[in-house]
Amino acid sequence: MPKVKMKRTGFVIDMTPLVDITFLLLTFFMFTAKFKSDADNEQKFQIKRPKSAADTSKLPEKDVAVIKIALDSTKAADTAYYYSVSNPELWNLVKEDPSLSEWLTPARKEVSKSQIKTIKVDELEALVKATRTQSKAFNAMKKSKAEQASLKFAVDADRRVRFKWIADVMEVMRRSRQTQFNFVTDKEQ
Amino acid sequence: MAGGGELGGGGRPKRGKHSKRKAKKRVGFRIDMTPLVDITFLLLTFFMFVTTLTTPQIMDMAVPPETEDVEVAESKLFTIRVRGDGKIFYNQAKDAPQPIVLKDLRNQSIKSNLDLKNELITVLKIDDNVNYETVVNILDELNLAEIKITQALQAEKLNRERKFTIAPLTDKDKEEIIGL
Repeated sequence: MPKVKMKRTGFVIDMTPLVDITFLLLTFFMFTAKFKSDADNEQKFQIKRPKSAADTSKLPEKDVAVIKIALDSTKAADTAYYYSVSNPELWNLVKEDPSLSEWLTPARKEVSKSQIKTIKVDELEALVKATRTQSKAFNAMKKSKAEQASLKFAVDADRRVRFKWIADVMEVMRRSRQTQFNFVTDKEQ
Repeated sequence: MAGGGELGGGGRPKRGKHSKRKAKKRVGFRIDMTPLVDITFLLLTFFMFVTTLTTPQIMDMAVPPETEDVEVAESKLFTIRVRGDGKIFYNQAKDAPQPIVLKDLRNQSIKSNLDLKNELITVLKIDDNVNYETVVNILDELNLAEIKITQALQAEKLNRERKFTIAPLTDKDKEEIIGL
């Protein structure tokens, strides 16, 4: 009996392991990807950060108080401080701090859910000081040492702002005895 | 009979009338996964790029605590002044300020620091009108210089103690660099 001629229709590679690994990586990157938070949606400005040489220290996602200095899109010379704390519980405590009650009215709290806008340096100083005291109290409430974390301060400023704004923040830090803080930059491409 | 061929087999007996014809072997079934892999890779690369690009980095900064002024010897001072128009001037000790471009600052800082080892105090004085970007660039150059200085000092078995501060640009400072 003659052999039946086998028809060759190309060849098939078993892609299952490839798909397995790819899906694994995909889910990993999907979960780690950070998207615009509420705070980002609330803000109406975009900060063009200055570029600096590559560094290994990244901006932490939690336990950080950020002072943003952004250019107002409408008037190029005009700017303001935007103050926020990454930890929601701590942020609520800071906003309720009695030392802020003079100027942080309920109406103003209402418009600034995730960050407080101010152009007054003394208001910023009050915020930094309140954060420092509340952070200590917040840590004292925690039972275990592992849950406690020291709060970092970061200055996230637009590269086009005048140095005056930065100098004022540095003076605020000095007066609040927060001698260590960070400048937020982007990696140089 | 081979065991793999029974998947989907109907109730029909294999023997009998059609026994002469070779029974079709069904080894499971295959789906062409190529489109699936295409899309998955596309998404994977997208998420990979998105996650790596949006992580801002931080630069350490310190301000001196609020205490009385510390007396330092002027000969150990390395002063960098930045004028309102962004021009940079440097001087060591009592020398007259000299203009310097940003890219030379790193080498100058390395040279001055290695002359005096850990004694040199770098003072950065910046005009209020300078762009923040210029300030970060200068700080970045000084940080990069720091790597080289640390390496050089380690070769001599010395530990690097960085002495750096940002001071306000006074009227006297401005006068010194106004005509340059």
